Amino acid sequence: MKKIVLLFLAVAVTLSVVGCAPKAVTPKIGVAIYKFDDTFMSYVRNQIQAAAEGKIELSVQDSQYDQPRQNDQVDQFLAEGCTALAINMVDPSAVSVIIDKCKAKNVPLVLFNREPVAADMAVWDKVYYVGAKAQQSGTYQGEIAADYWKSHPEADLNKDGIMQYVMLMGDPSNTDAKYRTEYSIKAVEAAGIKTQKLAEDTAMWDRVKGQEKMAAFLTANAGKIEMVFGNNDDMALGAIEALKAAGYFTNGKYMPVVGVDATAPALDALAQGTLLGTVLNDAVRQGQATFDLAYALATGKEAKTDVAPLADADGNVDPAGKYIWVPYVKVTKDNYKDFVK
Amino acid sequence: MKNSASTNSKKRFSAQSIREFATRNAIILVLAALILVIGIVKTGFLAPENLINIMRISSVRLIIALGCAGALITGGTDLSAGRTVGLSAVIVASLVQRPDYAQRIFPNIATMPVILPILIAVAAGLLVGFINGMVIAYLKVPPFIATLGMMVMVWGAASLYVDRPPLGAQPIGGLRAEFTNIGTGSIGFGNFGIPTIILIALVVFAVYWVLLNKTQLGKNMYAIGGNINAAIVSGVNVKRNLVAVYTIAGALYGLAGVLLAARSGGATNNYGQSYELDAIAAAVIGGVSTSGGRGTVVGVLTGVLIFEVLNNGLVVIGVSTYWQQVIKGIIIIAAVAVDIRKYSAKR
Repeated sequence: MKKIVLLFLAVAVTLSVVGCAPKAVTPKIGVAIYKFDDTFMSYVRNQIQAAAEGKIELSVQDSQYDQPRQNDQVDQFLAEGCTALAINMVDPSAVSVIIDKCKAKNVPLVLFNREPVAADMAVWDKVYYVGAKAQQSGTYQGEIAADYWKSHPEADLNKDGIMQYVMLMGDPSNTDAKYRTEYSIKAVEAAGIKTQKLAEDTAMWDRVKGQEKMAAFLTANAGKIEMVFGNNDDMALGAIEALKAAGYFTNGKYMPVVGVDATAPALDALAQGTLLGTVLNDAVRQGQATFDLAYALATGKEAKTDVAPLADADGNVDPAGKYIWVPYVKVTKDNYKDFVK
Repeated sequence: MKNSASTNSKKRFSAQSIREFATRNAIILVLAALILVIGIVKTGFLAPENLINIMRISSVRLIIALGCAGALITGGTDLSAGRTVGLSAVIVASLVQRPDYAQRIFPNIATMPVILPILIAVAAGLLVGFINGMVIAYLKVPPFIATLGMMVMVWGAASLYVDRPPLGAQPIGGLRAEFTNIGTGSIGFGNFGIPTIILIALVVFAVYWVLLNKTQLGKNMYAIGGNINAAIVSGVNVKRNLVAVYTIAGALYGLAGVLLAARSGGATNNYGQSYELDAIAAAVIGGVSTSGGRGTVVGVLTGVLIFEVLNNGLVVIGVSTYWQQVIKGIIIIAAVAVDIRKYSAKR
C-alpha cells in the first residue's frame, strides 16, 4: 500500500516537472462541451471545429453532463499549455472554480451558450461570455406576429383593434418558456397593438399536448382566436394539427401560428404555408463568434468577433464589455429556404 | 292495510335498488356528473366537435390502458407502456416521411405502402412486450422491476434510433397524408362519417372484451391474478399465459404509437412519456385492481374517458395549469374510493 502511494507520488512529481519544462508557445484552444449529444451544441461544436481548421490547434472534450469531469478537463487544458479556453459549462453556477483556475495561469476564458450570473463574470477581466439573449427569441416572435397583424387587417376577426391570442407555454419552470411568453407579447404591444389573452396553458414543449390543449382552446373560444403563440415549434405544430382538424388551412380559412427553434418539421410547415414564422437560435454564428473571440485571445490579439460586437450584460454595445450576444434569426416563408439543410 | 304494506316494501325495494345501482355503477355516474358539471360551466364543452375530439384522444389512451389493464389483472404492472408507444411512434414516423421532405431520417428509402411501416412499428412493440413477458415469467423478475428496466431501455433505444448523424436529435415530421389520415380522417357510412381512429379503438376494445370474457387466456388471467398458486394447482400454464399477456400489451402499445404519430402528424423520442402512469390510473379508476384478479374492459373505457374529459374540460373551463394537476389527483383518489365501496359492501 505504502509503495503504491510512493510510486504514485513519484510519477506525479515527474510528470509535473516534465509538464512544466517545455513552456508551450504555440497557441492552442481547449474546448469543452457540456454534452456531445445535445443537438444544438453539436452544431455549435461543428462550426468551432470548421472555423479552426488550418488556423489553430484545438482540443475538444465531451464533459458528459458532469461538472467535476469538466473541471478535470480544464486542469488538463491548462497543463497542456492551452493559451485560451472556450468552455460550455455543465453547471453555470459552478463557474467560479474554473475562473480561479484560469486566473491562476492567466489564460483567458470564453464561456459560451450556458450563461453564468453577472457576479461571477465580474471577478476577472479576462472572462467573456458568448450566447444568445433568451428574451430576444420572444421579442422576435412578437415582431413576426405584429408584422402580420399590420399587413393583414382581416386578421382582426372582430374588428376591435385588439389582438386576441392564445399561448402554449413550455415547462413553466423553464426560463426560456417564461421569457418567450412575456417578451413575445411585449413586442406586440411595443408595435402599438393592444392584446388580450384568451387562454394560456403549458403543453410542456410537447407536440401531442400542444394539439390537445389547442383543441380545448378552440372549444372554449370558438371563432375568437386571432393569433397562436407557441414557446417552441413542436407545440406550434401540434396547434396546427388541432386547427387542421377544426377546418383551418383549407378553403382560405387561416390562423397565424408562431413558434421558436426552426426545426425541420417547422421549416416544412413554413413551406406548406401553415406556420407563420419561427425564430432560430443561430448555432453557426454562435460557434463562429465563440471561435473568433477565443482565437483572438489565444493569439494575443484584441478581443472581438465579426459576428457581433462586445457588449455589456444588457446588450448595449461597449468596447470594454465582456459579452457577445449572438442574435436570433427570424424565419418566415420569405427566408426559410436558407435554413433547410 | 295490506295494500299500504306492499307499497311500502316496494318503495324500500326501489330505494335500495337505486342505492345498489349507484354503488355498482359509481364510476359511470362520476363520468356523467363530470360531463354535466363541465357542460353547465361551459356549454361549448358539449359541442359535438369537442366530444368527438375527446374520443379521438381517448382512442389512443384506451388502447394503451387495455394493455396495462391486462398486466394488472394478472397481478403485474407495465411501466414500459409509454416509452414503447414512443418507440413505435418514431419508427413508424421515420418510415412514412414524404419523399419531398427536406430532412428525412432515411433519405434513400423507397416509398412503401403505409401498412408496412405500421406492421414494423407494431412488431417492435410486440417484441418489447415479448421480452417483458419472458423476463417476468422465466427469469422471475418482478413485473414492476422488469418493466421499469424496459422503460429506461426502450427510451434509450428510441433516442439512439432518432439521434444519428447528420441530423441529430430532430423531431420527425413531414408524414405522408395517407398515413396521417388514419389519425385525422373518417370512414364514411352513407352520409355519416366516423373517425377512423375511433373505429380502430372500438375494434380493439371489442377484441379485448372477447379475449377477457370468452377465451381460456382471459379466464387464466383472472385466475393468475386472483391466486397464482391456485392457478398453478389447477393446471394453468402460468408462464406461457404471462408471456402472452405482455406480448399482446406490447403490440397494443405499438399500435397506439402508430395512431399517436398519425394523429399528431409527427413524432419525437419523448412521445409517450409517462403515458403508463395515466394508463394505470385510468385502469384503476375503472375498477381494475392493482393487486390483480379484477377488472373489466368497460371499466377501463370509463376510466380513460374520465381522465380525458378532465384533461379537456379543465382547459376549456380555463383552470390554471397547476390547479388542473391538483384536481386530477383528487379525482383519481376520490373515484377509486367511491368505486371500492362495491367490493367492501360485498364482503
